[in-house]
Amino acid sequence: MKQEDKKAHKFGMVVDLDKCTGCGSCMVSCMAENNVPFKEDETDKKKSITWMRVYKLTNGKSFPETEIIYMPRPCQHCGGKGDHGHSPCVSVCPATATDYGHDTGIVSQIYTRCFGCRYCMGACPYHARYFNWWDPEWPEGMENYLSPNVSPRMRGVVEKCSFCYHRYQLAREKAYVEERDDIEENEYQTACTTACPAGAIVFGDLNNPEHEVTQIVKPDPHPDPRNHDVVGKSRNPKVFRLLERLGTNTKVYYLSEKEWVRKAGDNYRDGEWDKIKNHHGTTESTHG
Amino acid sequence: MSEIENKSETGSTESAGECVSGDTKDDKGLGLGVIFFLVAFVACFLAGTLLFPKLLYSKKEQPFNFDHALHTSEAGDCESCHSYREDGTYNGIPKLATCLDCHSEEPLGETEAEAIFVEEYVVKEKEVPWLVYSRQPDCVFFSHAAHTIKAGNDCKTCHGPIGESTVTKPYEENRLTGYSRDIWGKNIFGIKKHSWDRMKMDDCAECHKKETGEQGACFQCHK
Amino acid sequence: MKVDRRSFLGLGIGAVAGIAVSPVGLKLTDDSSILSQTTKLWPWALDHPPFDGEITYESSVCSLCPGSCGISVRKIDNRPVKIEGLAGHPVNDGGACLHGMSGLQYLYDPARIKTPLKKKGDSFEEISWEDAISQISGKLADIRKNGTPEKLACITNKEQGSVSGLLQRLLGAFGSSNFYTMPSLESYLEITAAQLHGKGKTIAFDLENSDFVLSFGAGLLEGWGSPVACFKANATRKQRHAKLYQVEPRLSNTAAGADQWIPAKPGTEADLALGMCAVILKKNLFDSNATANFKGGLNKFAAMLQKEYSLEKTAQLTGIKEADIEKCAEGFAKAKMPVAVFGKGRGDGAQSLKEMTAVHTLNCLVGNINKKGGVFVQNKTQYLEFSDVTMDNIAQSGSAKAKIGLSVDQMLDTVNASAKPVIEALIVHNANPCYSLRNTKRVKQAISKIPFVVSLSSFLDETAMQADIILPSHTFVEGLEDVPNLAGLTKKVVGLTKPVVTPVFDTKNAGDSILMIAKALDESVAGNFEWDSYEECLESVTAGIWDSLSEDGYAILSEDVPSGAQMVNIGFLADNPPTVVAQAQDGFDFTLIPIDNMRLVSGAVAASPFAVKTVSDTVLKGNDIVVEINPMTVRGLKDKGKATLTTPMGAVKVLVNLNEGIRPGVIGMVEGLGHTFDNKYVSNKGVNINDLIGPVLESGTGLDAAFGIKAKISKA
Repeated sequence: MKQEDKKAHKFGMVVDLDKCTGCGSCMVSCMAENNVPFKEDETDKKKSITWMRVYKLTNGKSFPETEIIYMPRPCQHCGGKGDHGHSPCVSVCPATATDYGHDTGIVSQIYTRCFGCRYCMGACPYHARYFNWWDPEWPEGMENYLSPNVSPRMRGVVEKCSFCYHRYQLAREKAYVEERDDIEENEYQTACTTACPAGAIVFGDLNNPEHEVTQIVKPDPHPDPRNHDVVGKSRNPKVFRLLERLGTNTKVYYLSEKEWVRKAGDNYRDGEWDKIKNHHGTTESTHG
Repeated sequence: MSEIENKSETGSTESAGECVSGDTKDDKGLGLGVIFFLVAFVACFLAGTLLFPKLLYSKKEQPFNFDHALHTSEAGDCESCHSYREDGTYNGIPKLATCLDCHSEEPLGETEAEAIFVEEYVVKEKEVPWLVYSRQPDCVFFSHAAHTIKAGNDCKTCHGPIGESTVTKPYEENRLTGYSRDIWGKNIFGIKKHSWDRMKMDDCAECHKKETGEQGACFQCHK
Repeated sequence: MKVDRRSFLGLGIGAVAGIAVSPVGLKLTDDSSILSQTTKLWPWALDHPPFDGEITYESSVCSLCPGSCGISVRKIDNRPVKIEGLAGHPVNDGGACLHGMSGLQYLYDPARIKTPLKKKGDSFEEISWEDAISQISGKLADIRKNGTPEKLACITNKEQGSVSGLLQRLLGAFGSSNFYTMPSLESYLEITAAQLHGKGKTIAFDLENSDFVLSFGAGLLEGWGSPVACFKANATRKQRHAKLYQVEPRLSNTAAGADQWIPAKPGTEADLALGMCAVILKKNLFDSNATANFKGGLNKFAAMLQKEYSLEKTAQLTGIKEADIEKCAEGFAKAKMPVAVFGKGRGDGAQSLKEMTAVHTLNCLVGNINKKGGVFVQNKTQYLEFSDVTMDNIAQSGSAKAKIGLSVDQMLDTVNASAKPVIEALIVHNANPCYSLRNTKRVKQAISKIPFVVSLSSFLDETAMQADIILPSHTFVEGLEDVPNLAGLTKKVVGLTKPVVTPVFDTKNAGDSILMIAKALDESVAGNFEWDSYEECLESVTAGIWDSLSEDGYAILSEDVPSGAQMVNIGFLADNPPTVVAQAQDGFDFTLIPIDNMRLVSGAVAASPFAVKTVSDTVLKGNDIVVEINPMTVRGLKDKGKATLTTPMGAVKVLVNLNEGIRPGVIGMVEGLGHTFDNKYVSNKGVNINDLIGPVLESGTGLDAAFGIKAKISKA
């Protein structure tokens, strides 16, 4: 038992932005799966709780050269500098209401333990955390569709995407009664992944070379020689992470053929992108 | 009350003895002060230990008595009724359908409990509203499969010898939190003798640390 | 013994110390932390924790749109908790759209109709089912007694399916031909096939296998046809090295995902298609085997094209460069398996027959009809086996009379135009014409002129509000019904919705409501309805496929490439029918067009609270609708600023989204907002674009072909 426990997972996903159509299935699947409430006015997006949020990006060119692309953004499940588990949000939580699961790589939380200081929201570079300004309310009868696998959150606490951790728990329970040691790739998939009609989201264990996500991302296990804080950089030149240079070591990767999209993954100073774009996603060590 | 009165008498004797060899006025005051201190101390301590739990918890009776010992002798071990579903989830307290595997509208025995069960629930096809001593808050995830099949614990480790009980004890509900007294434990100081005496997060964490070396991240036990 | 200050202090300190040493402090601290952390401070959660139980899955079909995806309903302790796509289903194989996944919100929608209702003044009163049926049958009996059975009309959402079949049977036995469907992709595909290939046929596009999709505004990623199937076909496009060219004045999601965006002027799709036909004919890029099947004057057609749709003229009409038109036409004609797709937006909006036939003629010219990766032209789906209707004399004379309109729009206009009621009674099923048809005021006026209106609806929507009697229907998770996929897929699939939950309210299957009405009429009508229940009826009329429907949840009627050449009658286009232009007025210099947004719906049901929540704040902000406009269009408008948008139909306050992704001179407004019924999460948000656009009926077809309307906008 101890033997396998050492074999930690590192769950992550890669989103093919060229396949994403911005249809919103992932957002609704997430809300329905995780008992995310809704209220009368959801157009103030800062107060609209969407664990999975689809952003619209544009290349900024004028008609008719304009291009747009949609970017789904769940919690990025940062590993923090050097991938040691010091996620920006975990590091600042005074209540230990959120922490990093070294066995899964998932940033987890106890909603009831949160006292609503919202430091984590300030610390998160991805706006992935949401504060409950009100107790959720459902129209009469509608609470009947709530799932017991995720507890509803009350006013005054922060919440965010959990990579559908309850699905991991359920998959493990099934493995236990079948006396298997580990779960299969398809047994644990997030609600957004299974819902995506375009198949744009691939989810799996980045530590398992057999998993599709690992084969697409080809994460480099060594720290980036230019920036030792960065670990797990993709060796696929079409794959990038958001604000990668911060060393947050996110587990959500994005894939696009389009250069302007990859460039939009970070804030580059003039000329900076041109210097790194050709070896973006690679490291000197792999060049040999 | 008589106990407290006794104690206060003892207290006064002691202080009376002391006042022989001291400044009468001051000592007397000090003596009285000590007496009052002790009286109040003991009274409040006992009230906090004995009376407080009675105020804190309200007692509720189960819908009818359930004789675990009888059922285990007739039906077999715990898993005959409390079982895993095929998908690995745990059925907890069985639903009426499970009871009906053995029971029917014709009582099997002659107990009053069974008569209530048949009349109120079997005939009316109603689920029995059992009060669950081990009910955890909604934010808790607990995998029975992980703890038994995977980790090899038996039911007793957490639930104690409930399988040997013949009567269902009253359900004591914490008036503040709404949860059962069994979570904090019968002992109001929170002291436990057995692993099953308490079911609080600290108890989970303690065992996890001992058995696996770490207590795990939030989602290990929360949802 | 004197009690002095010191002893009093002793008492106090003793009490404090006693309490401190007792477990009170520790326990209360612990309890109050639980109290503050757990749900006790939130009383709702203590009464309504989501109860745990056994997890089960039930397969069914979603009938919210014509796509008819397979769904898997996850239930916990027999309580439906989530709807997801059904893996292995021939339509969607696993994926699901956001509306289907919000299906359970419809079940508990605040606007659900809970019991039969009868109009009383401005509101409704609850009545029993028996009462409602007897009042309906009483009115209908009077109409028959007067010998005017043709004055019963019906509006529903589709022609296919057994509930629609029952409605048509009711009208037939009653003696009326006034059966209308709302504009739909189903009807457009059939009208186009009828015009070019002959009656009784329909068209399907093999998007999954095509290597060049040329879409004339079809919102393949906006919810066109069977949305999930389209998303899937698009997702594999890259691997298949297939191209997508999108003709549309606005950078929609489809245009954004396309290899080439061709931002033609709104309403010039037909012109562009004909211009491309001209290029193909002129450059001999057509398939001569295919053109051998052309009837009705191919030469005349070619001559007309060279004259009216030369490159130069087409470029002028459409605003697309000559070279681009030529390049696109050549790319299309030279592709191995090209497909040209029509049906703007979701495919159910305003379209003209000219546009649809022009686009489909491109398919006919390049010879991709009935080939893998091309376009399938085949007979209409027929799987229902209804026996012939027995009509009495009254019914025969009524049925012999012509329909009062070619389309639902024309019928309503006729009602409005006549002084005496031409329609005495109207049954509306699964349709919301008072919201979804252009110029809603006109629709409401027509409906209010009809003396007796019956609504078979699940929700108290804009049209149900106009009804005299409402018979509430089940939602798709509560009832049994056959749902054919009518969305232009090459696979012809019929699915079966199953009751996965016991009805929440006192509702019935619409099929049962129709049976009850029919059986309450005189024997000559009632005799045609021999079934005791809708379920029995369904089983008997689908007898041929019932086993597979009930066991697998679906039946595949056909999926192979149809064989045989198809005649193409080009006569209609060779005469160059006039292109429909937008309704205009002096001083209205811009064109307002509707935007189909995947996150909203504009059909019989409104979007769910979840779907509305996902809508961007560049579409809806607060209760204000946001219109898209190119910064070049009007100087002085600020992004996020307030403006007044005026069309010949009226003026509304809007917010402005300055957007480079829309053609200058065009204003885009989303469809699906501005509902007015009682659901605060969905209604009274933004405006209904159908209040701002009036219909322009195409002569000869009666189709509303108003792609937009002329408009002006100014800073408010």
